[in-house]
Amino acid sequence: MKTLLSIAAGLALMAGTAHAEDVWTGGDSQPTSPLACDGAAPAVTAVPYNGAAVKGAADLKGKPISIVDVPKLIGIGYFNATAKGVAEGAKDLGSVTAKTDGPTKANIDDQITLIDNYITSGVNGIVFAANDPEAIAPVLKKALSKGIHVVGYDSDATPDAREWFVNQASFNGVAKALMDNLASQIGEDGSFAIVTSTFTTPVQARWIAEMTAYTAKCHPKMQWLETVEAQEDNILSFNQANTLMNKYGDKLKGIIGMTSVATPAAAEAVKQTNQCGKIAVTGLALPNSMKPYVNSGCVNGVVLWSPADLGYAAVQVMRAAIDGTLKPGDTSVKAGKLGELKIVNGSVVLLGDPVTFTKANINNFDF
Amino acid sequence: MLSRYVFRHETILALLLVLALALSANLSDRFFTVDNLLNQGRMLTEVGIIAIAMTFVIITGGIDLSVGSVLGLSAITLGVVWKTLGVPLPLAMVVAVLVGALCGAVNGLIIVKSRMPPMIATLGTLALYRGLAEGISQARSVRGYPDWFYVLGQGEVLGVPTQLWIFGALAIVAAVILGYQTFGRVTYAIGANETAARFSGLAVDRSKILIYTASGAMAALAAVTFVSRVSTTRSDMGMGIEMDAISAVVLGGTSIFGGRGTMIGTLLGILLIQTMKNGLTLAGVKGDGTIIVIGSILILTILISNIANRVRD
Amino acid sequence: MSHSPTLAPQPSPAAAFLRFVRAYGQETAVLVALLVIVVAVSLINPNYLGPTNINNIVAGNAYVAVAAIGMTMIILLGHIDVAVGALIGVLASIAGTLAVNGYPIWIAWLVPILVGVCVEAIIGVLVAYARIPAIVVTLGIVSILKGGLITVTQGVWISNLPPDFLIAQFRLFGIPSPVYFMVGLTIAAGLWMRYAPFGRAIYAVGGNVEAARTVGIRPERLTVGVFALHGMFAGIAAVLFGTQLQVIQSTVPNNLELTIITASVIGGVSIVGGRGTVFGSTLAAIFFSAVSSALVFLNISAYWLRAVLGLLILATVLADAMRRRQFH
Repeated sequence: MKTLLSIAAGLALMAGTAHAEDVWTGGDSQPTSPLACDGAAPAVTAVPYNGAAVKGAADLKGKPISIVDVPKLIGIGYFNATAKGVAEGAKDLGSVTAKTDGPTKANIDDQITLIDNYITSGVNGIVFAANDPEAIAPVLKKALSKGIHVVGYDSDATPDAREWFVNQASFNGVAKALMDNLASQIGEDGSFAIVTSTFTTPVQARWIAEMTAYTAKCHPKMQWLETVEAQEDNILSFNQANTLMNKYGDKLKGIIGMTSVATPAAAEAVKQTNQCGKIAVTGLALPNSMKPYVNSGCVNGVVLWSPADLGYAAVQVMRAAIDGTLKPGDTSVKAGKLGELKIVNGSVVLLGDPVTFTKANINNFDF
Repeated sequence: MLSRYVFRHETILALLLVLALALSANLSDRFFTVDNLLNQGRMLTEVGIIAIAMTFVIITGGIDLSVGSVLGLSAITLGVVWKTLGVPLPLAMVVAVLVGALCGAVNGLIIVKSRMPPMIATLGTLALYRGLAEGISQARSVRGYPDWFYVLGQGEVLGVPTQLWIFGALAIVAAVILGYQTFGRVTYAIGANETAARFSGLAVDRSKILIYTASGAMAALAAVTFVSRVSTTRSDMGMGIEMDAISAVVLGGTSIFGGRGTMIGTLLGILLIQTMKNGLTLAGVKGDGTIIVIGSILILTILISNIANRVRD
Repeated sequence: MSHSPTLAPQPSPAAAFLRFVRAYGQETAVLVALLVIVVAVSLINPNYLGPTNINNIVAGNAYVAVAAIGMTMIILLGHIDVAVGALIGVLASIAGTLAVNGYPIWIAWLVPILVGVCVEAIIGVLVAYARIPAIVVTLGIVSILKGGLITVTQGVWISNLPPDFLIAQFRLFGIPSPVYFMVGLTIAAGLWMRYAPFGRAIYAVGGNVEAARTVGIRPERLTVGVFALHGMFAGIAAVLFGTQLQVIQSTVPNNLELTIITASVIGGVSIVGGRGTVFGSTLAAIFFSAVSSALVFLNISAYWLRAVLGLLILATVLADAMRRRQFH
């Protein structure tokens, strides 16, 4: 009994201290750069090339090459779509053999081991989406030192560990799209909560930090209730969304899902409790998983880029880097069917603006 | 006489290893290069160090599911003590190992004092230690270690990866203790029959606490080499590594019921798993195919060994 | 202790209570812990006791509770199954695949249960007759199932599930169907283990194999049978698990086996071999979802979530150890 009481006391104590803290948003502590509220393009400052250089690579200009694509993990819709894009990009180029292989869970060590093995097996190029920007750096540097070209997409490594990085959309662009979308649905004084993957996932933490900054700047009256973790787990996301609705009752006006898993699960929770229209759901999501909710009017719109285009662009950038048609200092790169892509921040290839999928356009997409 | 050696688990394992090596070399000409083999050595170090201690734990009839979390907590301790508290890095490394040892000692104390089954006690501390790692780090990673620190995880000494020397030394010491020292005999005695060991006046409780403490300290050592290898500290480090270590130990012929097992067996188990992983990837098999093969090998090896055991008896 | 009057030596009603606590100590401890959490949290935020939240708490872990019934039997026998999480993932994917490919709904519900029985029966044979420790067999099976599932499905989500298939979303008198499954199966299994000869034999074998053999029980057969039964519960859990949402994520759910094993253990199985009931494991499963809901309600930074859960596991089991010392 004594132990049980001490548990209760411990819980109460922790609850007490937690109340004293500020609202935990789940953002990282790096500097933010919120966009202008009216969407005016930020002033562009030219940054010199800050990617790495590959050492002693064979001249493979125009020759057939084999590359491997190592996503954060395999077995989720998002990286299935990027893998499809990688395969399509390779097919369009004709001279590229591409293979996708990744860890079965988003684990830094498994990913490193896998890349290391592919370095040994002798590929010409590695495209990756990093589980941790720092942890993956040593193995990528090793690849560069062995004459293997390295291009990132989706989740970057430190710039000195790769040549180019294809960014799906700028962090502050995503933050603006999500918050504007939500504000238009729940009003400038609405309260909202966020369901994210884990607080340790760098990309989500970055988006959330940018969202906090942008909200403070452009939607100062919106109230950020809290951020909850749900890993990349369907059921957990669903349960967390349900608990949020139960906890806040009518106060909760919107839920933002930060992963392609959390957003449909939150929509499902809203649908199953018959609160469509009462609670707005938005977030990052694949259109296919959101079609039932968007078409039925339960969800107004979600935001994403095309992951397939992202994989496609990564392969195109890889080919261009190997051929030497993409060199340090270039301001754009030709990427097959995607046309010219802009290069910003020295070595970041920008895929474009995030797309907002609504009832009007969601059925035109299939991924 | 001959059959005693032929049907030994270690013999079967060694044959399997030779087979796996030959097969891998045959499938890819990049497998049997000094570079690749040494590199594989670098990658198996963390699981290996943990498996050394796990062999002792399992021989006593126990299990330590918390090692992955201890690894994570020690790694976070290293980072936080160095970066946030400003303690010199060598001292921070010592603190990290001490914290690991402390975690292990707590496991040992709970198991010995409350007579809670080790699986349950360490299941609880698995959650507790991981939670502490996450709570202390608040999900921030610690980066920017000085260059000399990376020698440990990314550098080489006399052409061999640094951590492989550490692993080798630990393995030899552990093999000697287990095979030729009184402590080793006590370890087997506890696993074979704990009550009997107690009645024969062996220091059962003290030995068990010591073994779990060592298990924690070894997990912390693995944490230090891991942090150095990947040049960053994260609270989710080492998640699931306990299953890899247990698989290696069990594949190596250590009985999960206690009382039986050798260090050579554990080393062979680790080498076999790493060879399969590496060889299959080089041969073009994807990650998901590889784990199917490793799972099947685990079951089949123990099955064959059991049958061989019956033939021998 | 002054604030636990129930434990003070008092005449008859208290004595009866004491006897009950002695027989069902762990179950009582979990129930008390559950009540403490519910009362404490609802004092801070009354919304915690709102009908939807209660529904969510009770129904949310129903599939864990159902799987923990089988796991309790396995642990009672002195075995373990670390593959059950992966198995549930595979079985849910099988159910979903059948449902979207136009097979009758009942086939989509039944086949995964049968497959579960077969897989676990094979594990049982390896454990009972080939004498491979269960943890070894199931460690191997985890890898095979995990790798196999991704190889076959390539991780593509199963969507467009027919509405009739989504059994976990059915409601009767406003209560979600998983609750009925959980309660019904727990009671059935609990009574069966207490009164049926086969059920009682589980305790006998778990307590002492050789003694059980002398009274005519065949431990090998029993082991295979219990594993098969455990497979059935895993199959039912998989159907409940897979039909909660509109899609099935065709990968193996992370750490589900740990949650299930923890529920069984906290529910009181195996601390002193051959004892423990499925009522405890079901209470523990509900207790988990109450705790994880409470953490959101109490604004406890999710960073500490795992630490709190770990403390709770240790505290509940330690409380049981202390209670035993008090009574024995």
